[in-house]
Amino acid sequence: MTKYLYEKDLRPLKYNILVGPRQDRTVKAMADRLGVRRQVLRRHLIERLDMSNLENMPARWEVGCAAPASDDALADALGCELFVENIAVFTPSEMEAAYEKARDLVDDGAPLETAVKEGKKALKEVITS
Amino acid sequence: MKKTVDVSIPVGPVHPCWKEPVRIKCETRGEHVIGTEVELGYMKKGIERIMQGRPWQEVMFLAERVCGICSVVHNMVFIEAMETISEITPPPRAAYLRVVVNELDRMASHLIANFSYCYTIEHETLAMYLLNEREYVLDMLEMITGNRVNTAYMIPGGVRYDLREEDAATLRATLDRLEENLRRYTKMFAGGPLIALRSKGVGILTKEEALEAHAVGPTARASGIAVDCRSNHPTYQEIGFEPVVRTEGDNYARIMVRFEELMQSIGLIRRALAMMPEGPVRGGGECKGGKVRYSGEAPRGELTYFIRADRYGRVEEIAIQTPSIMNIDACTHYMLKGVISIADVTSTFISSDPCIACNER
Repeated sequence: MTKYLYEKDLRPLKYNILVGPRQDRTVKAMADRLGVRRQVLRRHLIERLDMSNLENMPARWEVGCAAPASDDALADALGCELFVENIAVFTPSEMEAAYEKARDLVDDGAPLETAVKEGKKALKEVITS
Repeated sequence: MKKTVDVSIPVGPVHPCWKEPVRIKCETRGEHVIGTEVELGYMKKGIERIMQGRPWQEVMFLAERVCGICSVVHNMVFIEAMETISEITPPPRAAYLRVVVNELDRMASHLIANFSYCYTIEHETLAMYLLNEREYVLDMLEMITGNRVNTAYMIPGGVRYDLREEDAATLRATLDRLEENLRRYTKMFAGGPLIALRSKGVGILTKEEALEAHAVGPTARASGIAVDCRSNHPTYQEIGFEPVVRTEGDNYARIMVRFEELMQSIGLIRRALAMMPEGPVRGGGECKGGKVRYSGEAPRGELTYFIRADRYGRVEEIAIQTPSIMNIDACTHYMLKGVISIADVTSTFISSDPCIACNER
């Protein structure tokens, strides 16, 4: 987004939203699922999402988690829909890259758990970079 | 060839069409809006934090100060949440009176929402007509509760005041008058060719997008989602309730859903008055400790209170999920994206009836 001359630093305000009770619980659940530290995920979310997204994150998380499982167990395990469409933690291309990496492993005969682990590793790199 | 430039246009935080401050940064290509970013924080109250550690008697008054427009429903949802924790059931007459007051509050909110939209699209005549009708609704609220806003009418185990027979007659007469006038104004809106130009096909929110952003209330119902917490409320079930749903998903549909809900509210109040039994309005009861997630239907949609109280009824933890949180997100990230003219940004935003006070709590 374009920077304005009169632009304020929104990070403290975004942080205030993220440490609200519902948001905090959501960030914890997301961090647990992605296997990253909560503080690192918070920084990533502050950079990626606007204030309205952050406020609505718990509701979007609930909707995403309640969605019926698709035919693709790998995509569900990585949260392809959840972390891209419901909460934009990753861009579609970032998620696709992680998914392809995991899909290649599955196609080569690796167990699903191993592939998911590798996919999450790629996602973790995006968050920590 | 016409040159196309990318411009970032800030709308707000202070804007003549908006009742409260918020800034929306619109990324445009020519007149086309291709992305938006919302900047809040101009009126953060921190009310959830203020509520923590206070007894329910104090939190009750704080709850209705979250929002000045729909203060009754904040009072109602908080009180019903405490009643759920404490297993208190209000007397039947009080339950019906709650419906009457809640529907009057909804009417006041919908009238100001539609006023704001008409004012934004420069149909000031209709806007002023609607604002005028709102005064009568507020007069009725004042007659029943003693206040026009922040009524503190509901208490655990009942309501504060009973409705006198002469006041019920005045209310019925006012509803007749409102119904006649609102029918005319709805027709004006539905058939206005200039209104259609600014409203039909503008700011479309598809059903899938509405589900994704967890849109609620008239915003969701205008996109074909039949979601309304009143359907699950025991008193509304007794009275008989069916949500108003439209499928267009545009600005026009959202305003029309509110017009139709105004007529529905009139019907609900009439039926509540007719079905209301005689009896006490205060059943008493003691607020206890516990944990609850309780939702009620505010004028803008599902309002949820997450409460954990100790054994004295003191609120240890509270989180409020107001409908505007979801609707502003749905509006700014779906409806505004793809709007073909920057002039439609304000009207589309207003059509989702955003409440920044609710959003920032």
